[in-house]
Amino acid sequence: MAVAETTSGRAGRSEGGRWRRTWEGISIIFRSGVAVVGLVVILFWVFVAILAPLLAPHDPLAQDSSAINQAPSSRYPLGTDNLGRDILSRLIYGSRTILILAPLSVLASVAVGIFLGLLGGYSGGLVDEIVMRILDAIMAFPTILLYLIIISAIGPSALNVVLAITFVGAPGVARLVRSLTLDIRTRDYIRAAETRGENRFYIMFFEILPNARGPIIIDSMLRVGYAIFSIGTLGFLGLGLPPPTPDWGGMISEARKFIWTNPLGVLWPALAISSLVVALNLFADGLREESTRYN
Amino acid sequence: MQQPRDIPVLDVKNLAVSYETRYGDVQAVRDVSFTIQRGEAYSIVGESGCGKSTVAFSIVSFLGRNGKIVDGHIMFQGRDLVGRPQEELRHIRGDQIAMVYQDPMQALNPSMRLGDQMAEVLIAHRGMEQKEAEEKCIQMLERVYMPDPANVMRRYPHQISGGQQQRVVIAMALLNGPSLLIMDEPTTALDVTVEATVLDLVAELQTRFDTAIMYISHNLGVVARVSDEVGVMYAGEMVERASVADAYLRPGHPYTLALMHCVPRLGMDKSSSYLYPIRGRVPPPSNLPPGCVFEPRCDFARPVCRQRRPELREVEPGHCARCHFAEQVLAGELRLPDDLIPDLDKMTTRGEGAERILSVEHARTYYEAPSKRLIGGKKQYVKAVDDVSVEVRKGRTLGIVGESGCGKSTLAKTIIGLETPTDGKLEFMGVDISTPVSQRDLDLIKNLQMVFQNPDSTLNPSFSVGSQIARPTRRFRAVPHSQVHAEVIRLLDMMRLGANYYDRLPRQLSGGEKQRVGIARAIAGRPELVLCDEPVSSLDVSVQAAVLNLLLQVQQEMGTTMAFIAHDLSVVRFFCDTIAVMYLGQVVEFGPAEAIYAPPYHPYTEALLSAVPIPDPRTEQKHIRLSGTVPSALNPPGGCRFHTRCPRRHMLPDGGRICEVEVPPWQCATEEHRIFCHIPLEELRKMDKVVTVEEETHAG
Amino acid sequence: MLVKDYMTRHPCMAEPNMSVIEAQRYMWENGIRHLPIVGDGKRLLGLVTRQTLLVDPARLGSLDMWEISRFLSGLTLKDVMVKARDVITVEEDTAVEEAARIMVENRIGCLPVVEGGVVVGIITDTDLLTQLMEMMATRVPGVRVTIRMPNVRGELAKLVAAIGAQGWGILACGGVPVPRQPDTWEAVVKIRNVPGEEVVAALGQVEGQEIVDVREM
Repeated sequence: MAVAETTSGRAGRSEGGRWRRTWEGISIIFRSGVAVVGLVVILFWVFVAILAPLLAPHDPLAQDSSAINQAPSSRYPLGTDNLGRDILSRLIYGSRTILILAPLSVLASVAVGIFLGLLGGYSGGLVDEIVMRILDAIMAFPTILLYLIIISAIGPSALNVVLAITFVGAPGVARLVRSLTLDIRTRDYIRAAETRGENRFYIMFFEILPNARGPIIIDSMLRVGYAIFSIGTLGFLGLGLPPPTPDWGGMISEARKFIWTNPLGVLWPALAISSLVVALNLFADGLREESTRYN
Repeated sequence: MQQPRDIPVLDVKNLAVSYETRYGDVQAVRDVSFTIQRGEAYSIVGESGCGKSTVAFSIVSFLGRNGKIVDGHIMFQGRDLVGRPQEELRHIRGDQIAMVYQDPMQALNPSMRLGDQMAEVLIAHRGMEQKEAEEKCIQMLERVYMPDPANVMRRYPHQISGGQQQRVVIAMALLNGPSLLIMDEPTTALDVTVEATVLDLVAELQTRFDTAIMYISHNLGVVARVSDEVGVMYAGEMVERASVADAYLRPGHPYTLALMHCVPRLGMDKSSSYLYPIRGRVPPPSNLPPGCVFEPRCDFARPVCRQRRPELREVEPGHCARCHFAEQVLAGELRLPDDLIPDLDKMTTRGEGAERILSVEHARTYYEAPSKRLIGGKKQYVKAVDDVSVEVRKGRTLGIVGESGCGKSTLAKTIIGLETPTDGKLEFMGVDISTPVSQRDLDLIKNLQMVFQNPDSTLNPSFSVGSQIARPTRRFRAVPHSQVHAEVIRLLDMMRLGANYYDRLPRQLSGGEKQRVGIARAIAGRPELVLCDEPVSSLDVSVQAAVLNLLLQVQQEMGTTMAFIAHDLSVVRFFCDTIAVMYLGQVVEFGPAEAIYAPPYHPYTEALLSAVPIPDPRTEQKHIRLSGTVPSALNPPGGCRFHTRCPRRHMLPDGGRICEVEVPPWQCATEEHRIFCHIPLEELRKMDKVVTVEEETHAG
Repeated sequence: MLVKDYMTRHPCMAEPNMSVIEAQRYMWENGIRHLPIVGDGKRLLGLVTRQTLLVDPARLGSLDMWEISRFLSGLTLKDVMVKARDVITVEEDTAVEEAARIMVENRIGCLPVVEGGVVVGIITDTDLLTQLMEMMATRVPGVRVTIRMPNVRGELAKLVAAIGAQGWGILACGGVPVPRQPDTWEAVVKIRNVPGEEVVAALGQVEGQEIVDVREM
């Protein structure tokens, strides 16, 4: 019997083995300079958030009435806010808030979005119409307005911020997932699964979803940036976490009133937010460019 | 004294092209040389990945960001194109070299009218006036036999058929009078009958326009029809250069020899229709063998082949081959090893199988077409399958053959339950299967499985090969749970893939391997009937042979019944016991395989047989061409659906008036062979055979 | 028998910016005698021949040795070509013999064939010789008879009638007035599949006409 040659494909690399493939996936990051820059900044903030108690020179909630709205000094490296609290410490602890809430809310909105997108995209017909029109309706509202409505309805708290962002963000994810599903649904392996009599949820979650993960992952990373941005906005509008929790957006909002006397009070949290958002975008962009370079 | 006409239009010398990849530079083409004279049609033949398209792209300098010419010369009209500035190359590309691609929509702008696009070529390059340019375009369309050219000029690309689009593209390419026309698989995406007409056109282009043609294809039959000289490429190298007659009948390289053996031919007996596969697979360009590039797969390899790379040398005047033993191959001294010569009788005798396992009677599947009006309006139906009756007996193979739009895929989907029939009785193993698959019993589903057409999308890219075969094995409880893994390994072995394929991802497999995994997945549950929807159409010729033989073997070992859908009559010749020929949703001829290939024929079968390009210069083939295009299934012609294009209508009184009005009767030539036609059987029996071979002896 | 039947389509062409040195080499390596210079859309801009590549000495007159080589190396074809308006061309529907007349009267060996200002081919003297060969059925075996007759109307018809009466096929037929004997006309006829003696016997009988040469070729 003639034997099939087993010459491996693609330059002999990525031969079997899941770990090897994961490593290959990760190594793409390092090939893109842009992505590495983004990653460094992100890791910096993660580092700061984890080691917050060690890094912060003061208690973020401690008020010092003798040092209100001060410029940077040796005692308070970034100055103080209108209640005499050390801005640097608040910034450091604020990173914790943001770095927990943002990914959490993105995770939640992606989970909901994936479910709805898969359902609509795969089922088609009436189910798709209904799901899509509901999502369209949500997306038609200006986001700020939506946040206002939600938070004023259920009250400001960390959980409610997550819920608000989920509610506002899920339709976008659902749209993306739906369009990916519509494309993947036409493939023969889905037909093969159907001819095996698999039920629809198996097909949605085990056949379609794994193949949509690329764009979803990159989109999620961008969404973390938007979520940070949104949390900042909510904080700025006073709809975010209730005081005195250190919240970068809230810090901007409070410092805004005193901008003439202490402009730096606004600057530091704004820079913090921008750096994180830019870093996330760089990371996502670099990844995307690198993974599609050799097409 | 040298004349202008003696200078070859294209003289490629030792061309080498590399691509930049993530892992370094990869050489896609090395040491390719060939010459095309004025007015000559030269073909480059090879399977996918051999570099033939890269050669074409390097001539027109379309290599993309990553590609570069690293060595060699491309002498066009005596001047080297390599190293010339882009601006000059652009001028040459516009005025003197034209290219036609496989997909006409790559050359046509979908948002512009055809007339405007064509006129643009003349207006931009020659500065013609709009009116004059349009006139010239209409003239050119007439010369490519486009029906109703003035009307076509006003249409958009999506409003004309694929064959017509390709004609427009060819016309556009010829507008500037290029001296070289490069055609990269222009007919691969077209139906066989349409392809035949376009090939006729190409053959004429040489004489009428004196254009040199470089024709790239993987289809040996097409090449034989279109050109006189051919270059065979393998893994980036030119392995043989000869005239078509020499290459096909007396090849000098083992690869060419092997290719000729694995190409389906319309032979009259089964043994000449058997396809001999080429074992192994094409080496990746980053990992070429040290000596002869074909050595790992060559049945005649000797030690010297592994050590030294052979030169392309002339073994006869006008015939070059890149093999150390070319003379022996030429003399026919090298024989195929015994293990490759099959026991043909054993392969084709099957059990008695009188039992009907699948029976389809008067099946209809209509799709609702969206009505033109927003509200109300008459409901329109696309009659994809309209009154089809076929049957399959246990252990046998049914072939369903037809071109695009004939409804064969819809029929397959209806049987398997992905579509619901509008009407008709479908029975499988005594159970009614007119329900969609979601409502069927698991047991029924297990016994009716399918192999799909496109190997690239038949496997889920995110899961390993082994897990994808294991899933149906487990689901259908073919073996006890603890033995699933062993069973998957067994199936992989049966498919001639090793056990180490278990963990591989689909993207690491070649097209043929993916298709084999698809087959393994389909038979994992030990089904009674396997429906194969054009499983080999997207595969290379040598891989086709391997997969078809594998299917035969599976049938032998497991006694599976098969229904095989194809668009090409030559592929099913050896494989099927009964064949059904479909046209526009109906079966027009049904019978045992031998009966289909010999008269009496249904006129459509006759046209199909005469359109298939045959890779054998010795065969005589009748030249029957169908005019017009396939009518829309929304509104099929009344009476006999084929009457709008039937070349034999004149055989009936009154020019075949009856064909327009009355549905034809089923005429039974034998008990098992029936033809759906008005023409009396005696007349049909008098038809000549479409394909005749001069000698019945096998080449090589 | 038009120019388009015998011309070579797609001749070698060059663009006006090509350097003279490169053009020289190009023409030399490929044995090209006439090189049309074309612009966009193969529009004829000029013509360069072996002769015109020789630079007019008057232009070099005032230059010294070093300047000459720099001048020469900087020359492009547009500096030396015959401009389009001075180039003699023909159209593809022109009769072949008209092209021959032009070539003879202007003493040139090649003519670019132009349609609407665009170069579509080139016709050379060898092409005309090919045409002559075809016209006289040179490659087809047969009997070639040369007959002299008075240069009077009806004589050729008599000859043809005589051939027709025998039921023979005429492969080729041509005729010219005999040089230096304007009253006599010479016709050459080629007949297939008939032995020479029979031809001589039959045609020798035509009144007033004389066979001067018979050969099988």
